[in-house]
Amino acid sequence: MKRRIIGTIAKSFALVVVLSATLQAHTQDDKATLYERMAPIDQYLMADRNAEIAFARTAAPESISRDAEVWVLGRHGYEIAAKGKNGFVCIVERSWMAPFDDPEFLNPDQRLPLCLNPPAARTHLPLTFKTTELAMAGLSKTQMSDSIKAAFDKKELPVPEAGSMCYMMSKQQYFGRKYGNADSHLMFWFPKTDDMFWGAGLPGSPVYVHQYSPQPITEFIISVSKWSDGTPVPTD
Amino acid sequence: MKRKIVRTIALGIFALAVVLGAAWQAHAQDAKTPYPSIAPLDQYLMDRDAEIAMARSAAPEAISRDAEVLVLGRHGYETAVKGKNGFVCVVERGWMSPFDGDFTANFWNPKLRGPLCFNPQAARSILPMTYKRTEMVLAGQSKAQIFEGMKAYVKQGLPPLEPGAMSYMMSKEQYLSDNGQHNWMAHLMFYTPFIDSSAWGADVPLTPVMLNPQFHGHPEPIDVFMVPAGWWSDGTVDPVKPD
Repeated sequence: MKRRIIGTIAKSFALVVVLSATLQAHTQDDKATLYERMAPIDQYLMADRNAEIAFARTAAPESISRDAEVWVLGRHGYEIAAKGKNGFVCIVERSWMAPFDDPEFLNPDQRLPLCLNPPAARTHLPLTFKTTELAMAGLSKTQMSDSIKAAFDKKELPVPEAGSMCYMMSKQQYFGRKYGNADSHLMFWFPKTDDMFWGAGLPGSPVYVHQYSPQPITEFIISVSKWSDGTPVPTD
Repeated sequence: MKRKIVRTIALGIFALAVVLGAAWQAHAQDAKTPYPSIAPLDQYLMDRDAEIAMARSAAPEAISRDAEVLVLGRHGYETAVKGKNGFVCVVERGWMSPFDGDFTANFWNPKLRGPLCFNPQAARSILPMTYKRTEMVLAGQSKAQIFEGMKAYVKQGLPPLEPGAMSYMMSKEQYLSDNGQHNWMAHLMFYTPFIDSSAWGADVPLTPVMLNPQFHGHPEPIDVFMVPAGWWSDGTVDPVKPD
């Protein structure tokens, strides 16, 4: 009898181990493959065009974005939705503007509103449009990366013009599962340079850096204390 | 006799009015420009070690410990510490203020101390303006002469502005004004060619970007945009001022 009970416990334990292992494998599989492939295109689009225009404008204080040009994402790429007067361009970027090794590279939930100043509108937007075109054509990450690199090599894509910067101060921005709405910040673009150029990433420095690859671009990031609507960013 | 007395009284009142009026005008001018001309040089100088420490406090230690440090001597700025990372830290004086406008009041203020750490691009293309203005100050030139001198320097000797030129100004010990909080704000400064400030969205409601009145084409063809850092170089929080 005693042996039978132990046998039952042992079988139960084995079942738990098997179930646990299966669950773990499933979870890892989810993590590994969750955003590996392009989701149906509808998931990247915003159904309401006006909502996307309003969302794009939240990237900068209203005093800047109300006179900015606005682009929205359609089934065939970005299209102009509102003409501007001040040279700024506001746009909601999608996940494929993240680094190619980002595990959420094709997360259809990501929404990244930016308002670019005139030099950035001239030299960063072409990269956004090109990358979007490749993603929407269904290319793999490797194919996209190779194509972007070739475009820079052939000078079909420009490097950032001096003074290129953008506002990224939308409280509603969504960087994905890991970073949520991150924080309110400004970004400055340069032709590829080293981190030390602005003393970025060092203890106590308010400057952060992101080195693009294969794009020959360095991005410096400075957090600011308020969202575009003037409310404070939580400090924790 | 009566006429003579009246005349004497009238002249006396007139003279008194003139004297009082002149005194009042002088007082009003003093209040407007408390530092109308250069003070004795010693008032602008500092203890060398204190100046080195203050210069370094402009940036987090991770940057400033390997920076070159300059100090102001009787004949201009001199290198006090050699650097390794291309940054240059220096304590600027009042004469780096604008030549006109509200902020020119501190031009000759001997108490003003503006510690900065320039990145390599700014060290090559912005710092020369600090040297040039200081050289003319120490030569005893007036503000008007320095302005003319800078105009000539802009035409003949000013190095081209390098893209990415910026500086740290995060010292809690900065003294930028006699009024209110002397250490105005921990901030970063970015140098661009003299442009329309709207290109960076500066000084509009709720923007974190501010245009510094320094330079701005008067006469140096440079604009300086500022962004709050949020904390001082020692890591303590600098609550950003309300809009």
